[in-house]
Amino acid sequence: MAHVSRLAALRRREFLKRASALSVAGTAAPWALQLAAINEAAAATAPGDYKALVCLFLYGGNDHGNTLVPYDAASHQLYSTIRQTLATPRDQLAATALTPSVALPDGRQMALAPTMTGLKPVFDAGRLAVMLNIGTLMQPTTLAQYKAGNVPLPPKLFSHNDQQSLWQSSNPEGAISGWGGRLGDQFLSSNGNATFSCINISGNAVYMAGKQAVQYQMNSGGAVAINGVTRTLFGSQACSDALRTLVTGERSHWMEAELNRVTARSITAQSTISSALSNITLQTPFETGSLAAQLQMVARLIGARQALGASRQVFFVSLGGFDLHDLLVNQHPGLLGSVGNAMASFDAALQELGVAQNVTTFTASDFGRTLSSNGDGSDHGWGSYHFVMGGAVKGGRFYGQLPSVSVGGPDDVGQGRLLPTTSVDQLAATLARWMGVSATDLPLVLPGIVNFDQKDLGFMTV
Amino acid sequence: MTEDASSPAAALSAASTAGAVLSAAALLAACGGGSSTDSGSDSDPQNALPANDGEAARFLAQAGFAASTTDVATVKSVGYGRWLDMQFNASRSQTHYDWLVAKGYSAETYRNSLAGVDATLWRKLIGSSDQLRQRVVLALSEIFVVSMNGLPVSWPGFAVAGYVDMLEERCFGTFRNLLEGVTLSPAMGVYLAMRGNRKEDPRSGRQPDENYAREVMQLFTIGLNQLNPDGSPKTNGGKTIDTYTLAQISEVARVFTGWDFDTTAPSGADPSYMRRPMVHTASRFSTGVKKVLDTTIPESADGPAAMKAALDTLANHPNVGPFIGRQLIQRLVCSNPSGAYVQRVATAFNDNGQGVRGDMKAVIRAVLLDSEARTPSANPGGGKLREPVQRLIQWARTVGMSSPGDLWAIGDCSNPASRLGQSPMRSGSVFNFFRPGYVPPNSQLGTNGVTAPEFQLCNESTVAGYLNFMQGLVNAGIGDMKPDYTADLAIAADATALVQRHALLLGGGTVSEATITTITTAVGAIVATTDAGKLNRVKASWLLMLASPDYQIQK
Repeated sequence: MAHVSRLAALRRREFLKRASALSVAGTAAPWALQLAAINEAAAATAPGDYKALVCLFLYGGNDHGNTLVPYDAASHQLYSTIRQTLATPRDQLAATALTPSVALPDGRQMALAPTMTGLKPVFDAGRLAVMLNIGTLMQPTTLAQYKAGNVPLPPKLFSHNDQQSLWQSSNPEGAISGWGGRLGDQFLSSNGNATFSCINISGNAVYMAGKQAVQYQMNSGGAVAINGVTRTLFGSQACSDALRTLVTGERSHWMEAELNRVTARSITAQSTISSALSNITLQTPFETGSLAAQLQMVARLIGARQALGASRQVFFVSLGGFDLHDLLVNQHPGLLGSVGNAMASFDAALQELGVAQNVTTFTASDFGRTLSSNGDGSDHGWGSYHFVMGGAVKGGRFYGQLPSVSVGGPDDVGQGRLLPTTSVDQLAATLARWMGVSATDLPLVLPGIVNFDQKDLGFMTV
Repeated sequence: MTEDASSPAAALSAASTAGAVLSAAALLAACGGGSSTDSGSDSDPQNALPANDGEAARFLAQAGFAASTTDVATVKSVGYGRWLDMQFNASRSQTHYDWLVAKGYSAETYRNSLAGVDATLWRKLIGSSDQLRQRVVLALSEIFVVSMNGLPVSWPGFAVAGYVDMLEERCFGTFRNLLEGVTLSPAMGVYLAMRGNRKEDPRSGRQPDENYAREVMQLFTIGLNQLNPDGSPKTNGGKTIDTYTLAQISEVARVFTGWDFDTTAPSGADPSYMRRPMVHTASRFSTGVKKVLDTTIPESADGPAAMKAALDTLANHPNVGPFIGRQLIQRLVCSNPSGAYVQRVATAFNDNGQGVRGDMKAVIRAVLLDSEARTPSANPGGGKLREPVQRLIQWARTVGMSSPGDLWAIGDCSNPASRLGQSPMRSGSVFNFFRPGYVPPNSQLGTNGVTAPEFQLCNESTVAGYLNFMQGLVNAGIGDMKPDYTADLAIAADATALVQRHALLLGGGTVSEATITTITTAVGAIVATTDAGKLNRVKASWLLMLASPDYQIQK
């Protein structure tokens, strides 16, 4: 934690020095702009001190049951009996069966989905860990408490949009800040350019909105310039100037103001991003496809971190299509293959850039799914399995409690829906501590963590 | 050419009218954004007339997509209510299904293709004269979402065509009828996996698929929370009250078993089953007693009877009026209707005045003729961000775009970097392009808790993609679709008249004087002594107006 206090000291000193220089500009500008300006002024980027967290969200609710599959003969038999036609045959799992550094209980073994071969070497090299039965929780909850309904439960369980929001923000849909954004809040002042603290390569996610931090949204192809602003508009410089005025000027109507705030940020950030990326090329191959392209762009942005003035960053990428009530056997393997290959390429690219120790990637999803089959797919569940990847991860092993392979088992709230034994807050808190959030500040990022005794799951090298 | 130029000039009387519109609008009382006002019941909204061209154009942008000079004149002459009547009775243009067939897309080679679907969607959205129906269908397609990104089935294009045709057919009928059309449509059957859903199997442990059961309640009828008639959530001890439990979803899932395509040869070359409702197979139906909310469906009910009872129960739930009514207001009028406005629409939903529940015409009338719709809000959080496709359609209609070759080759506009970040029937999920409760974080909207769904699509990429895409369209059209600038060129020498015209047609009298001045000054700086100069003035004026936040936020 030494670097945090050093940063904090730098932060205060720089703030005092530069705040006075800014005070003239202070009163007229909107508060958010003022804040950004102050933070940028207070920036204290120590070269070489860099950490980034990447959230890979699997939209739709990933079928965890076929992502990490029971491999020992007894468990696989139970799994096959329950999943019927959804089950992955055991002989297809031999190549991806995992040998963790800490053995699973009762002789149990697990295998990655056969299409996730790309992740096997990453696990074996100790840079990939598996979180077992993790999900949204308000507090540690037993099955008896769940059934009795006598402890607070996450609202709107099993609902896509709400559980996405809970994973990302600890609140159901309508939340206006997420824990990625609140992490960004903690580090706005250590970044030279506050705009690039939280970068979303896949649209819009509440995860990335902080109390102050604003998510900057761009594409895997890069930032987009507005032609009418960068060049004359229909031959007229006056019209180009007017366009800039119209789309960036201050507005009293709140919606007009927000629209212009986004556009102004688009124009300013685009020139910085484009110039920062112009020198960054990667040798590591990425396959084609949306997720691979997103992670490739994240890797390039990380490569450009100094030009972007970044020392702490949060990124968001995503892949959709996981809500497989139907066609699970047909479609799920391909999706998992995309995830595995894109993550493996990203891992390789980070090593190429020499920042493997500095970047941690984790998967997240709406929820896990039922272990039981509906004939052609599975239905909305709760607890799930997830991955954490990076050089600072104590990988090559599993964390948390391995659930029994059963319907009606000790963790089952119905049809093989898992009651989580590890909470998202605990995962998030462990990652936040690694990023440098102090124990004292942790509740600012994760208010719900106070309800859990174990605030560090121990999977990160700090 | 001169005829075209003179008639708009007469209808709009250019600059002076728009100026008058602005001052009139400024004098009108504030409403919307949470403050409720009485609907002015002393005057019958059915017979109300717009006071000027601006009010007529503003109405047309809510009730349809665009204000042609002819439409403005019509609304001024017949009034709002009668214009709606005319549109309710407007004949439908060629169905999507028939157009695809006519273009040869039912050939076997297109069996796994979406070819032609974007084209026929744009054809109607931009080219069909029944613009109220088109606008309502677009709105409904964003509530009862089916997406081309999620139809892994033969003939996906015809599934979408059949679905949108069904929405057209039923959008002015009853909600109950619409809900049944949605439920039994092959497209929804595929999209939410109700098609092929089978009864439980105790031997294998197989359970009925819960997908449709869940979303028909969460998204299509009652929502997650019990609502008051004004759309606010009911509370108990400060907490919202759930409308259903997980166990109830499992019950409803059993109701929706046994349905599949109405065909014996789904792999054949005939896509016609994609426009027929699904049919029921008794042997796949989960028998036994089921409960749907408070309704007990007896063991004696067969599949169709059980489904009817379930849909009746959902459609009769008191949540539907405020839940669906509020979303229709958001799609057509404003993002933050007052509770009183929602309640007035819900009341019309509950009873159209003749004892009919869910009369969509009455609901649409209530949405569009309400005083809160007819009066621009002075609230800084009033109005809504026009959705990207709405902006494209509005402009394309305003400049009279059509496709002489009947190609409508605009294509998929989903790319956020180079296009609109949105395209009809191409949502990323059943949760639509944006959520009705979305509040942009870190903004004055967020600070004030103002809902702004369309902002979920507004980011650093899409704002640039939109402006660049529209600049290309304004400059050269797209494919064989070219803008008709005849009326613009006739007045292009007068920058003031030109910009006022565009402000009126796009903004319906709500564009600020300051913005009009900014655009007029810039456009006026282009020398208009040549045809090329005039053309540049026209193009620049359109683009600047399309870019202006005054326009993008529909007031």
